[in-house]
Amino acid sequence: MTQLLDLPSNRDEAWRWADLGGIAAAAALAPVAAPDAEFLDLPGAKLLFVDGVLDEARSDLGPVTLGPVTLGAVDAGDHPLGRRASHGWTLRLAADAAADPVQVVHVATGRENHVAAAIELADDAAVQVVETYVGAGWSNRLARITLGKAARLMRSVRLLQAAGFTSLREEATLGEGASLVTTVLGAGDAGTRIDGAVTLAGEGGYAEFGGALLTRAEQRQECAVRVRHAAPNGQSHQLWRAVAADRSVASLAAAVEVARHAQKTDGEQSLRGLLLQRSATVNLKPELEIFADDVKCAHGATVGELDARALFYMQSRGIPPARAQALLTRAFVADALDRIGDERVREAFVADADAWLERAL
Amino acid sequence: MATKNAEAYEAVSKKYEWGFATEVEQDFAPKGLSEDTVRYISAKKNEPEWMLDRRLKAFRLWQTLEAPDWAKLNVPPIDYQDAYYYAEPKAKATIASLDELDPEIRRTYEKLGIPIEEQKVLAGVEGARKVAVDAVFDSVSVATTFRKELEEAGVIFRSISEAIREYPDLVKKWLGKVVPQRDNYFATLNSAVFSDGTFVYIPEGVRCPMELSTYFRINAENTGQFERTLIVADKGAYVSYLEGCTAPMRDENQLHAAVVELVALDDAEIKYSTVQNWYPGDENGKGGIYNFVTKRALCQGRNSKVSWTQVETGSAITWKYPSCVLAGDGSVGEFYSVAVTNNRQQADTGTKMIHLGRNTRSTIVSKGISAGRSDNTYRGLVRVAPTAEGVRNFTQCDSLLLGDQCGAHTVPYIEVKNPSAQIEHEATTSKISEDQLFYAMSRGLDQEAAVALIVNGFAREVLQQLPMEFAVEAQKLLGISLEGSVG
Repeated sequence: MTQLLDLPSNRDEAWRWADLGGIAAAAALAPVAAPDAEFLDLPGAKLLFVDGVLDEARSDLGPVTLGPVTLGAVDAGDHPLGRRASHGWTLRLAADAAADPVQVVHVATGRENHVAAAIELADDAAVQVVETYVGAGWSNRLARITLGKAARLMRSVRLLQAAGFTSLREEATLGEGASLVTTVLGAGDAGTRIDGAVTLAGEGGYAEFGGALLTRAEQRQECAVRVRHAAPNGQSHQLWRAVAADRSVASLAAAVEVARHAQKTDGEQSLRGLLLQRSATVNLKPELEIFADDVKCAHGATVGELDARALFYMQSRGIPPARAQALLTRAFVADALDRIGDERVREAFVADADAWLERAL
Repeated sequence: MATKNAEAYEAVSKKYEWGFATEVEQDFAPKGLSEDTVRYISAKKNEPEWMLDRRLKAFRLWQTLEAPDWAKLNVPPIDYQDAYYYAEPKAKATIASLDELDPEIRRTYEKLGIPIEEQKVLAGVEGARKVAVDAVFDSVSVATTFRKELEEAGVIFRSISEAIREYPDLVKKWLGKVVPQRDNYFATLNSAVFSDGTFVYIPEGVRCPMELSTYFRINAENTGQFERTLIVADKGAYVSYLEGCTAPMRDENQLHAAVVELVALDDAEIKYSTVQNWYPGDENGKGGIYNFVTKRALCQGRNSKVSWTQVETGSAITWKYPSCVLAGDGSVGEFYSVAVTNNRQQADTGTKMIHLGRNTRSTIVSKGISAGRSDNTYRGLVRVAPTAEGVRNFTQCDSLLLGDQCGAHTVPYIEVKNPSAQIEHEATTSKISEDQLFYAMSRGLDQEAAVALIVNGFAREVLQQLPMEFAVEAQKLLGISLEGSVG
């Protein structure tokens, strides 16, 4: 049993909206049967972790290695959740390598499990990593990502646990001209906390970090992402959509930090929340922290319900109200999932989002 | 470039224009903070027993609290025992007219440019706009003008200590209602040791016949100033209140922890404007005022409205979030702010709009201007309660950076629990472009004037909200505060 006593507190600004009680409750969940593991029909490596342990029979490691995760250039880490994970998988690609997609499925059957991952891409290497979380319990993950010059990582994460809590800590460092596109879909029934720290260390880096959090019942999902521009000419986009139904809470906290010499930075945030019922809550915090004077940083944040005029228009065209509502909500969520480059992956994510909407609407 | 810069350098080396200290005999409470200090202040003010009890309760509570540290501020530890909590100029207890005022104090006012003389002249002119000034010199109100005319209208405009004695029921009813004693560290401290301040009551249906104004000024070395302002606008009443301040140059940091409470009942409207120009410290960050202020308005009545307008150019550290609790259905909250930081100044300021009533609306326009090595943070909260149907909020936060050594931060919190709410938030960060500067200078403006012009344009939306008397002063202040920051 992990010492839950040293969890951060809601009094801490960075954890203001976090469901810390949910973590403790998830860790205490009684064991359940393992649900079916679903790999997408993609070529490349497939990793199946059951309660944090690799199921070798059903996995195909490909270029991935297992064992203690060496942390590379990043320091030992003091993230209150992330620091609990030390063993897991490592993906290292040499310069100019272009690997097949890597799929990782995490199955939890109760209690808690902690897995660390390291992804290190040398100059000009490129890969796609797709992760899926299912089951029940507390799944805690730490991912350390290092991208060399012009390396490209496309990362898509589905949080589909039926119960419990999924916490992700993502730390990424981007070299010159490197590109990281991370898209997260929270469409399960578990609580989540997505804690991202992306540093554009080299000049001209490109980072996208966004996704959609769909919450219902008593669920609480949250992202807290900070993109730090440490070098000039970087570009970052954080596009998040939250849909909250019933008595659920969806919180989006996205921060852009521009260091003193990171001139010509283009940082963009778009946070939008949609409330389906009056008992639901959406929290937004689009934060800017700027120390350079020649930058373009814009953020937009809106919360509300579906546009009444759009609903009316669709009804006037003969679309029943429920259908119109579903279509508009779907379009609202689709914005965030459009960033996934691989069509097969994107379709799978959209299907999961649709399934959620079916249940919630 | 060298010749162009000469003027800028001259401006940089310029000392604080309002930096002077007036030698006036003062009555001090013993240094330090204890129950005895609280009792001393209360006794000095001839306060009734209930007020002393409230103060002591607040003081005991304060001892159990810790100073907040969530703001993006670097606050050196404050030794609360190393300050005077009460200083009273040794002047006559009551003054019938300004002529009886201590000439030293009067000279101070003149240096500050308080237009009392001018206003006295203005007052005689038929139809001219009038301003009532309740001047707070350190801790005691020494001159209250226009009291008679206000009394005819039924408006109560008193120093808070007078009000405690003369209108105990009103004060008892509303004091601490909007900002309770345990609200936060500095508000609790203020509740224990507040020395003076202003009380305004506008009776039902009365439109206050003139702008009310209080000039705060910290004078004695090592004295914290703990002002307490309470404004109550009864049903259908209207009042516009102006607050402005400058402080003389002192080396040691001085603490100012004021509390301002506004209450608006049905259909009432309060407009509260602030121009804050306290000593910001020198170019190396030595000295300067710590401005830790709790300002909050309760829009309790239906269709009530509170509008905060602030121009913050002074203080070494500013920690200030004028807020509106929109409890009455259809009530409106507004917040217009210009915050300028230069040299080593730090400002963490913004607002909170708490929407509780149906169809409540709020507008937030914040303009942050950072220069030198300063840090300027907008921190705001918009909260919509589940019962608040049809809420509208519009927030706009713009930051302007002058130079590459300063920082501009935006930390907005949005918490919505009702789907019918429409919340919009926009923010931009920019700098003064070479093109703008070049254009203005090609038209014959020098660099300082060009920067001042562009900055005033940037802040125009907010400056427009100020009453005439302040708008001119505020524009001038922006220019002065930014002198030497570009070049």
